[in-house]
Amino acid sequence: MAAACSLKAALQVAKVLETIMSCCVGPEGRQVMCTKPTGEVLLSRDGGRLLKALHLEHPLARMMVACVSSHLRKTGDGAKTFIIFLCHLLRGLHAITDKEKDFFFSENIQTHGNHWKNCCQWKFISQALLTFQTRVLDYVVDHYLSRHFLSIFSSSTKERRLCRNSLEMLLEAYFGGRVGRNNHKFISQLTCDYFFKGMACESAFEEVFELVDDCYVELKVGVTGLPVSESRIVAGLVLHRDFSVYCPADGDVRIVIVTETLQPLFSTSGSEFILNSEAQFQTSQFWITERTKAIMKHLQSQDVKLLLSSVKQPDLVIYYAGLNGISVVECLSSEEVSLIQKIIGLAPFVLPQASSQHEVSSTALVKFCKPLILRSKRYVHLGLISTCSFVPHCIVLCGPVQGLVEQHSDALHGAFKMLRQLFKDLDLNYMTQASDQNCTSGPLIYKNSGESNQLPEIVNGSIQRPYQGTVVKNKDELAKSQTYLKVYSNLVVPNIELETHTPCSTLEVTPTDETLRCLSPNEAMIIDDHEPLIENNSANSATKNTGIDIYYENLQVTKIAGKGGMLPVRCTSLEMSTSPSYCFSSIPAGCVLPVGGSFEILLHYYLLNYAKNCQQSEEAMVSMIIANALLGIPQSLYKSKKGNYRFPQIYVRALRALQTNQPIISSQTGLESVAGKYQLLSSVLQCLTKILTLDLVISIKRQPREISDQDSEEEL
Amino acid sequence: MMSRVEAKKPSSCESEPLTSERVRVTLSVLKGVVTSCYGPAGRLKQLHNGRGGSVRTTSQSAALLAGLPVSHPVLKMLAASVQNHVSCFSDCGLFTTILCCNLVENVQRIGLPPTTVIKLNKHLLSLCTSYLTSEACGCRIPVDFSCTQILLCLVRSILTSKPACMLTRKEIDHVSTLILRVFLLTIPENTKDRIILGKSVIIPLKGQRVTDSTVLPGILIEIPEVQLMKILPIKKSDSFKVALFCASLSGDLSDTGEGTLVVSYGVSLENAVLDQLLNLGRQLVSDHVDLVMCQKVIHPSLKQFLRTHGVTAIDRVGVALMEPLSKATGTQPIGSLASISPSSYGSVKDLGTAKFGSKHFFHLIPNEATVCSLLLCSRNDTAWDELKLTSQTALHALQLTIREPCVLLGGGCTETHLAAYIRHKTRSEPESILQDSSCTQTELQLITEAFCGALESVAGSLEHDGGEMLTDGTYGHFWSAQADSSSVVNWPDLLSRCGCGLHSCRGELGLSFLRSPRPPFSPLTCLPPQEAAGAANNLTLDCFTAKLSGLQVAVETANLILDLSYVIEDKN
Repeated sequence: MAAACSLKAALQVAKVLETIMSCCVGPEGRQVMCTKPTGEVLLSRDGGRLLKALHLEHPLARMMVACVSSHLRKTGDGAKTFIIFLCHLLRGLHAITDKEKDFFFSENIQTHGNHWKNCCQWKFISQALLTFQTRVLDYVVDHYLSRHFLSIFSSSTKERRLCRNSLEMLLEAYFGGRVGRNNHKFISQLTCDYFFKGMACESAFEEVFELVDDCYVELKVGVTGLPVSESRIVAGLVLHRDFSVYCPADGDVRIVIVTETLQPLFSTSGSEFILNSEAQFQTSQFWITERTKAIMKHLQSQDVKLLLSSVKQPDLVIYYAGLNGISVVECLSSEEVSLIQKIIGLAPFVLPQASSQHEVSSTALVKFCKPLILRSKRYVHLGLISTCSFVPHCIVLCGPVQGLVEQHSDALHGAFKMLRQLFKDLDLNYMTQASDQNCTSGPLIYKNSGESNQLPEIVNGSIQRPYQGTVVKNKDELAKSQTYLKVYSNLVVPNIELETHTPCSTLEVTPTDETLRCLSPNEAMIIDDHEPLIENNSANSATKNTGIDIYYENLQVTKIAGKGGMLPVRCTSLEMSTSPSYCFSSIPAGCVLPVGGSFEILLHYYLLNYAKNCQQSEEAMVSMIIANALLGIPQSLYKSKKGNYRFPQIYVRALRALQTNQPIISSQTGLESVAGKYQLLSSVLQCLTKILTLDLVISIKRQPREISDQDSEEEL
Repeated sequence: MMSRVEAKKPSSCESEPLTSERVRVTLSVLKGVVTSCYGPAGRLKQLHNGRGGSVRTTSQSAALLAGLPVSHPVLKMLAASVQNHVSCFSDCGLFTTILCCNLVENVQRIGLPPTTVIKLNKHLLSLCTSYLTSEACGCRIPVDFSCTQILLCLVRSILTSKPACMLTRKEIDHVSTLILRVFLLTIPENTKDRIILGKSVIIPLKGQRVTDSTVLPGILIEIPEVQLMKILPIKKSDSFKVALFCASLSGDLSDTGEGTLVVSYGVSLENAVLDQLLNLGRQLVSDHVDLVMCQKVIHPSLKQFLRTHGVTAIDRVGVALMEPLSKATGTQPIGSLASISPSSYGSVKDLGTAKFGSKHFFHLIPNEATVCSLLLCSRNDTAWDELKLTSQTALHALQLTIREPCVLLGGGCTETHLAAYIRHKTRSEPESILQDSSCTQTELQLITEAFCGALESVAGSLEHDGGEMLTDGTYGHFWSAQADSSSVVNWPDLLSRCGCGLHSCRGELGLSFLRSPRPPFSPLTCLPPQEAAGAANNLTLDCFTAKLSGLQVAVETANLILDLSYVIEDKN
């Protein structure tokens, strides 16, 4: 069976999805209840989760859901806006194709059937969309939109520091779209408190976010049956189990972690224990008991008060632990153990082979260890003393039903993901033309075999005159090339790899990295006269894999990265604040805009302006469609507002402010990530391209067989 | 590969679930069921599956909601919410359910947008909680632990409100005293900064009269009659040494590791283990232990050995009794068969056997531990189940009262008083709410009326026999009158006391019907001291913590239900 895959069909599907999504978008959105096949009831406003819960059958709908989930994997946010924007784009396209049937290249298509004609037409549109993204969108974002960007970091200091106020606004806006209206303020406040309590120092926030995101399950406790307002943050780590033995201890408590049973067993796996007499059995048992006793005594002598075990310990161990005043927590999950190890930097305790009384090296201190009772369930509460940048804290989330607790917990986890994304720079495909006010020479592009490579030089945070590309012709000019390298020695050259000697007398430098760090010149300049290849491993491996090959005679420094000649130059927020005139073709980390459709209205305005000045009718048309579709998002955000806060009023006010170069006053407090919005836009455009390039959906009985490389190798 | 991959069926998606007839009908059915159970005059419900199996007669939310087959997801959430509340606080489950249903129904009738409703409900709830937790609250009585009168009233109110226990007035008095005694026995005498309550064990004794129920300090372990014969006559002593084992003494070979154990021909591990057990027995005898108890099984040979040496042995105690036993005797459960540290032994003051009904018990009387046993008797199984649940509820309510030493007025008076307070508050100073929630005065009045109406109908649910429900214009308390009295003009002749029993009816109270419109007034908050003292013997009281949390959970759940725009049901 085959069904024509028309724009109309896609629009119908998108419309249905939009009605569901638009009811829970924005701060005024409402809850959706999902039931699982197991009978559990979930509350959700998470677009991705809802789309999955629908189990859609329509092929186009499934494709859209797949696009949304791949977008969510990248960014973790924006599923609802995705659907709404996609629907508006399809509407725009539909309206245009209805009105001007032969707008796009109609002269090329004459004899085909109507359907095929449309398909061709859409294919052209989809190509136009692709070129739009690289040529127009990135240009507009970079040139016009960037001047409106705000930063989440406080601008007063040199290093990146989180501004609490901004973070609060960001989180409040995020939770406004994720949890119930009555709770979003409370939950966002809780999250914000959690971050600031969990940070040892404010500059190391990235590490903290990473750790919290990775170990989120271990760091939260869900409690049902209590009102939401009982949710709180507790200092220390809460383990989801009870003590096997609890011996109260005051003051600092010394702990060890074990990963095996402390009682010796008769035989380990793969071995055999041969019993020849009853006496032998009794002595072995006696030995086992004595040995266990000795181990526990030994632990006690080292002042160990708490034993954390990842396995179940035998009765004997528990008994002797109790006798020696050692509390025991058993059956910890491997995740819990690794989290504890990460926080306090403690290696598991290894049983001493002989019963020699050397010191137990792997112990650590905790501030307290006590039972914590939450809703008549007992937990172990540890006051870990952190050795990393994360000060351990746990979130206790309360709610009347499990479904609500889970919603809050998911929203919190999503917030961590969103924040991690926010702290990354985002490349734009657009190539900047670096220029400085002091430098009049303009952009200098080194041309070599048709590729254009940008050569930025940033010394001490300011931009120097770009280096004119040089062709190093012979040995005599080696000195020159060395100075050249010296100029570049402040750029990070993480891995200098060795490659085959190629007789090429060109010099090609394309350095790109997120943070330009200094590398001492002598490290970068080890060039031996006869050994042609130098490997430099001293560079920080945390930065991106950038390879630079240095050859004697033929000096070539190449960056092997997948972007051909179009390599963006980025600038950190530090440069952004020091030299505002500098153009950058990336969205720097921490860029935010006020919520409530600011991004959409701004982009709409600039795209329309661009379209007006654009010569190519095709490009102008696509820009117009996208610009108008963008307005759909604020429209649905403001649909329930009254009076002066209705969408048309807001829109008119914003346009007026833009035309007169005044700041736009947003009616809502709250911030959202620009990078997230930008990524959403490009994901939707990709999805639309996918939809438009399809012309027929064929339903088959069998699953298409995956052609794997392994099969072909076997055949050979 | 024989993997079976089946395509998922599409889910069903229902928009605006609350407007659908199906939800409205099921919600009102649920409301009808719970409302008719509420209070001392509540009707009983019988839960049975029609194919044999146990029959449960109950009027308690915990048993009712666990048994009700709830189909619609919205109701499922409501039921889950109440069940979670009950598992936290034991009490006030019906109150929570009725209030939640009433709120949803009342708000639906108004037809305001859910955004406004939810915001205002939250504001009204915070008004309630801040009033109830404030010192000025007029429906709250502080608890003085030196006087048991109020605590006894609290227990009696809880017992009275569960008619399925089938207790007479005399029986209620008896059981209430027992429960209070159990509670007092579990409070340690020498408390430092933190009170750690002891344990109480409820022991079933079915087929006896309720008045035969009793409380004994210490622990009763039920043993079969045959075994009782074997137990030696207990010699008189001041103190008995006790050993409590958590490891099995049956002679089975414990974990030998993951490898294989090869036993040569002729070597008998059984004998080896038995030797070990007898060695253990010898050590116990030489340590002058008088009583050996084991969570698991004791080998018959060891038992025999111990008996011949004058040591009483009791096995198969079970894991549930381990903690109370270890607490009562001060022992540390022993996990070793080889050597026992003398510090793990404990002691009891006295040992004895006792017979209650047809059951025989071994009785351990501790020195000064906070462990006691409540022997609960009832005529039949289903009434016993109900009585046990009620006793646990009452005990829990008493424990919660320690944390928050006050009680709320019962009998519907808290609800009507609170409604009067909220009406007055939103009428007299609405500015703070209006500012914060950007709604109009009319909207606020409408929602206040719905909220207070819901509270008042909870109080009204106490009346099941068609009587008149009234409230006064002075204290805002709840009054109910006999059914056939509507013709009577002079209310004070007919009404003796209000719902909670604090106030007696006088002429100047300003009585009016509960469902009729009344002018808002500020309810008097001060309690008349002479009246409180005089009436303190038979007040109806509610657990403060449970009711406060019930109120919060009810409003939060109602808000959740009202906020629903879609229900996606997974049909797989």
